[in-house]
Amino acid sequence: MSAADIELVDLHKHYRKGRIDIPALDGLSLTIDAGSFVAIMGPSGSGKSTLLHLIGGLDSADSGIIRVGEYRLDRMSERQLTAWRSRHVGFIFQMYHLVPVLTAAQNVELPLLLFRMPARERRKRVATALEVVGLADRMDHRPNQLSGGQEQRVAIARAIVTDPDVILADEPTGDLDARTSQEILQLLSLLNAEFGKTIVMVTHDPRAAAFGQRILHLDKGVLDRDERNPARPAAAAHAH
Amino acid sequence: MTLSYVLLQNLRRNRLRTGLTAVAFALPMAVFVLALSLVVGFVKTSAALEQELRLGVHHRVSLTNFLPDGHRRKIEELDPQRTRLRAVCGMRWFGGRVPGTQQTLQSLAADADTLPIVYSDIGLTEAEITEWQRERRAAIVAGGVARQYGWKVGDRVVLESTIPPYRQLEFRLIRIWDESPFPMTFYFRRDYLLDAFEREGQVGTGCSIFWVKCVDAAALRSLQQEIDALFANTPDETRSEDENAFVAGFVQAVGDLPSLAQAMATVVVIIVALVAGNTMMMSFRERIRELAVFKALGFSARRVFLIVLSESVLLALLGSALGILPIVAGLTLIPPDHLRWGAFSPPELSWLAVLGSLSIGLIVGIAAGFWPAWQALRLRTTDALRRVA
Repeated sequence: MSAADIELVDLHKHYRKGRIDIPALDGLSLTIDAGSFVAIMGPSGSGKSTLLHLIGGLDSADSGIIRVGEYRLDRMSERQLTAWRSRHVGFIFQMYHLVPVLTAAQNVELPLLLFRMPARERRKRVATALEVVGLADRMDHRPNQLSGGQEQRVAIARAIVTDPDVILADEPTGDLDARTSQEILQLLSLLNAEFGKTIVMVTHDPRAAAFGQRILHLDKGVLDRDERNPARPAAAAHAH
Repeated sequence: MTLSYVLLQNLRRNRLRTGLTAVAFALPMAVFVLALSLVVGFVKTSAALEQELRLGVHHRVSLTNFLPDGHRRKIEELDPQRTRLRAVCGMRWFGGRVPGTQQTLQSLAADADTLPIVYSDIGLTEAEITEWQRERRAAIVAGGVARQYGWKVGDRVVLESTIPPYRQLEFRLIRIWDESPFPMTFYFRRDYLLDAFEREGQVGTGCSIFWVKCVDAAALRSLQQEIDALFANTPDETRSEDENAFVAGFVQAVGDLPSLAQAMATVVVIIVALVAGNTMMMSFRERIRELAVFKALGFSARRVFLIVLSESVLLALLGSALGILPIVAGLTLIPPDHLRWGAFSPPELSWLAVLGSLSIGLIVGIAAGFWPAWQALRLRTTDALRRVA
């Protein structure tokens, strides 16, 4: 069980579309404590996904500091970021993105192929991850034999199988009905509460955001509002 | 689970497309290996013939024009001491078939006195030579014919001419020539054919070809020029070729196999590369988000590049193997006589061709997969993920 705090200082990120310069993040500074569950909201183009990608080492900022645990991502090469991602971050996507020709267990095992680990140990970890998400009895099912909610659970198992410090979820309930969304969000809360994982979740849905201990509102690349959720036990967190 | 397993499973993603692409590899590869095996069989025969030092002298206009019998004596007089020329054997095409069948045999009526010398590679024993010269109906047949019709030494067999008046001749087999490079050959005595012509009041003189057995390669080359010069500006000009060139010319009349195989190889590479490239590009486009997720999970760009490239190579090799294996099995298990095609020698499995085909498969797989793999290498994870998120 491990978790990492996150520190972002004066982050700038611009995209170019032809000759037009589009600012995605404009001097954003933020600290997220280890083991907290943070929801990020904001209108389209506010920089939510960009922020998530920067924290996950999928993209690099134009300037600013990105620290996750003891690692300064802004100083890492792409190769180092790739290696870091495989060990320290778990991603959950809106569309699950499971490999359709692999079973649930094999999908969960995929990230472990990057580790030098005995097959027996891999199988043990996969079984544990699927048990945590409540799909121990669906190990040999292929994605097309699972419901949307079950597919997302497999994707969550895939995200936690490497025991990452941080879980980054990009609209994890965006493609699910209300009841299944609740189940997925409860599962994320469980991972946060029971396993102490730092969770950063991007969402448009206020009901989903309500699962976070802290709700950050982004607008035009800057932090517009930083709310603490009284309904959830607050984790120590603050914005600069 | 290993990455190889993931690659194999990926090929099952769209089975119809994978199957069709594999077949697109398999068919040309099969034809390619078969064509090269035919060439190998032919080359092997040619190499064997070259050592026999036989010069074929035929009419300059065409093989169907007969040369006068007197040409034999004139050729022999070029070397009365027999220092360069061992013997001359006149042959006349008969082209008969077994009555009731449609297959024309390569049957030739040969001079009885010189055939055992000119065709010393038949390896007739003294007793067989005596029998050949004593029995006017004697015939020597290649192993392929004998096996096909179940003939054995001592059998009496009948051949029927394929041209009017469709005369039938009866022969007695004195030798089965198993090692004959031409499995459908049938030799018999020319005087026996002449008798048949005379009985019908027809003229049967004239030879389709004279085979001149030389003592060495230098003699063969000098006699070749001298013979053609001897008959130049006569009504029956000749064209002399060594046996290898003669057979090659005969085979090329059917089709220039070596050039055909070469052209085929080029076409195979281009067409299959296009087909496979298209497949791999489609496969890449369909999975662009999935590959982005692989990168997000921590798979390096190099590893993703290799996954896409390996998939293409795997598909290419599987398709090639699918085409090559039946040919290898066929050429290994089926007796060569059953594989004979027209005037060609039976194909002989060329492991070099097999290796060459697999190499072509490998090269095409790399060529077809390189661009999609390169795209995967350069794929910006965030851009690919944004298409969904």
